[in-house]
Amino acid sequence: MSAYLLPDGLDLDRALASHLDFRAGPARSAALTFYDTFDGRLHAAGLTLRHGDGRLSVVDRATGAETAGVPLAAAPERLFGRDLPPALSARLAPLIEMRALTPLATVVTRSRNLAVINEDDKTVVRLSEEAPRGLRTRVLSLPVRGYDKDLQRVHKVLTVSLGLTRIVEPLADEAIAATGALPAGTSSKLDLALTRGQSAGAAAEAVLARTQAIAAANLPGTLDDVDSEFLHDLRVAVRRARSLLRELKTVFPERELQRLRDDLKWVQAITGEMRDLDVQLLDFEAYADRDRLAALHEVLEAHRTRALATMRRDLRSRRATRALQSWADLRAIAGTPPVEAIAAERIAKVYRQMLRMGRAIDEDTQPEALHELRKKGKELRYLLEFFGGLFDADVVKPMIRALKALQDVLGRHQDFEVQADTLRNLTAEVDDREALLAMGVLIDRLAHEQHRARTEFASQFAVFAQRRAAVKATFG
Amino acid sequence: MSTVFATYNVKGGVGKTSAAVNLARLAAEDGARTLLWDLDPQGASTYLFRVKPKVKGGGKALVKGKSDVDALLKGTDHEGLDLLPADFSYRHMDLALDGTKQPTARLKAVLAPLQDDYDCTFLDCPPSVSLVSESVFEAADVLLVPIIPATLSSRTFEQIEKLLVQEEGPRVMAFFSMVDRRKHLHRDVMAQLRDEQPGALLDTAIPMAADVERMGSNRRPIADFAPRSPAARAYRELWKEIQARLR
Repeated sequence: MSAYLLPDGLDLDRALASHLDFRAGPARSAALTFYDTFDGRLHAAGLTLRHGDGRLSVVDRATGAETAGVPLAAAPERLFGRDLPPALSARLAPLIEMRALTPLATVVTRSRNLAVINEDDKTVVRLSEEAPRGLRTRVLSLPVRGYDKDLQRVHKVLTVSLGLTRIVEPLADEAIAATGALPAGTSSKLDLALTRGQSAGAAAEAVLARTQAIAAANLPGTLDDVDSEFLHDLRVAVRRARSLLRELKTVFPERELQRLRDDLKWVQAITGEMRDLDVQLLDFEAYADRDRLAALHEVLEAHRTRALATMRRDLRSRRATRALQSWADLRAIAGTPPVEAIAAERIAKVYRQMLRMGRAIDEDTQPEALHELRKKGKELRYLLEFFGGLFDADVVKPMIRALKALQDVLGRHQDFEVQADTLRNLTAEVDDREALLAMGVLIDRLAHEQHRARTEFASQFAVFAQRRAAVKATFG
Repeated sequence: MSTVFATYNVKGGVGKTSAAVNLARLAAEDGARTLLWDLDPQGASTYLFRVKPKVKGGGKALVKGKSDVDALLKGTDHEGLDLLPADFSYRHMDLALDGTKQPTARLKAVLAPLQDDYDCTFLDCPPSVSLVSESVFEAADVLLVPIIPATLSSRTFEQIEKLLVQEEGPRVMAFFSMVDRRKHLHRDVMAQLRDEQPGALLDTAIPMAADVERMGSNRRPIADFAPRSPAARAYRELWKEIQARLR
């Protein structure tokens, strides 16, 4: 499909009449609604999900062609992977994962089909004039199989004879942009552009500003409980900011620093239970024994409903508003050293601390030690996310790889333990024999998985420790 | 996987093309990606869809697997309905098939690469007992057999039963075609055949109607120019019944 812009005031039928034989159909109006996840996953995959005319369709962004569709009377308000009709879920569910598809723009469009015909009165090219209210009118040309030459002729008429310009931007993008939103979605990635020689204060302010913007962008979706990732991204932003304030505490005025650190610690605390429940419910989707565990699911949902109400109240409180505000307002002191100096020192120090902690771990060590190491690892991870770009990529990249692999082992070790603990605590509330038996099996499996993660620890830590010489040479 | 329907009868002029064209259009209207292959060298389906009856390389190259089938397809005026046109050379298709190693497997092989592109495939077959019809039986999942309720029509069943000797042949769904309910003979034969062949005959009958004949001058399926006519309604009922039987 190709799209062309129709200038205001140009009568398409009259303009075409001297060049082509065609039959014009009646005009109809339809409300078109475009969907994507908050972070624009369909957009990134080159797709658009559209509802209009009683049909929910997946459209290829580049060609405008429908790749899958189902009849659906009303435009849905929100769709998860599990809500999608089978014809669409095969394509979309793996892309969106746990995210929700929500309507980003609705535009009432008046459209009319024109069939370009040959001497046998046979349709050889389909044209469609689409006038979305408040947006630019487009002419779309859709090929009919086996009539390529006619398509070329129509293209020539539209561009040369009528002087229309082709437009690549899909209607969905134009409609979404018109609402003030970003067609590509809102990213929760850091995407910092720090430079060597920049003062540590300015760099720290940039990190704070970006993390604050991510938190603010994800707050409405968290309050509306659109999907689990709003809260997750908000919490990651808070954790990153806290990490920055801890690692670069010397560049901020003491009193304001302490106040923001307290506020952010509080935000993390009031959102913790809700996130834990989200994780348990997301894990639940992957359990093989879901049917037998229905009673557990009910208990988790009930807990979540209560936790959501409490979290909403807290996030709407004056303290939460103040936290977001002071997060945006905090300024560094003047005359701080170049960022790479402080960053190198911190990265080297946290790396050395991790080496010390890791070496102390053997088969008899309590799980808490692994948990502490993981927390330290997150600290290093964030430092590298903020400042890694300032140093030699040949050192930073393998360091991040080794750290990620280590954190993965530690993370699994910790998560399985938390999951098993939660299940044990919930047994008192689950009043169903079948479910209790299934929970027992699950707890056993989790213990087994945790044990496996523990056995992988030594080798992953060894790989991480091998980076020592390179880390010392680069960061001191 | 595409469901392959073939409209077939040993006799000509019983409403095969009309059934193929109208049912294919209904399938496409329901949202099924539909292909109609006009196997009849007379090219009546092709004519009705206003496509030129020409296949590059002819029937011989096609059945020998030497043509790129994709490049031979033509879109019709109906979205979702494509046509593999007739070609005059199809009149020698028996000979072309005879020259291949597994003649009766050839039509199925031609359709194989299109399996995933279409939900429904209709084969409009020439009236005959030949290698072409044997190939059609092998390619089809459902044989749609229009029967005019006249004295000899019960013989059609015997003929088809004889032809479908192999175990895993297509399902046979016969239906009365060109029915004139004012004629005693038609009514009697229909009642008698339904007694003799319970289950093999669909309930819906296609009436003898001027609208069916007008398809030729309009060069369109009935639903395009007389959507509320008895014949258009009958085809819609027939399509519903066929789908219900397949479920």
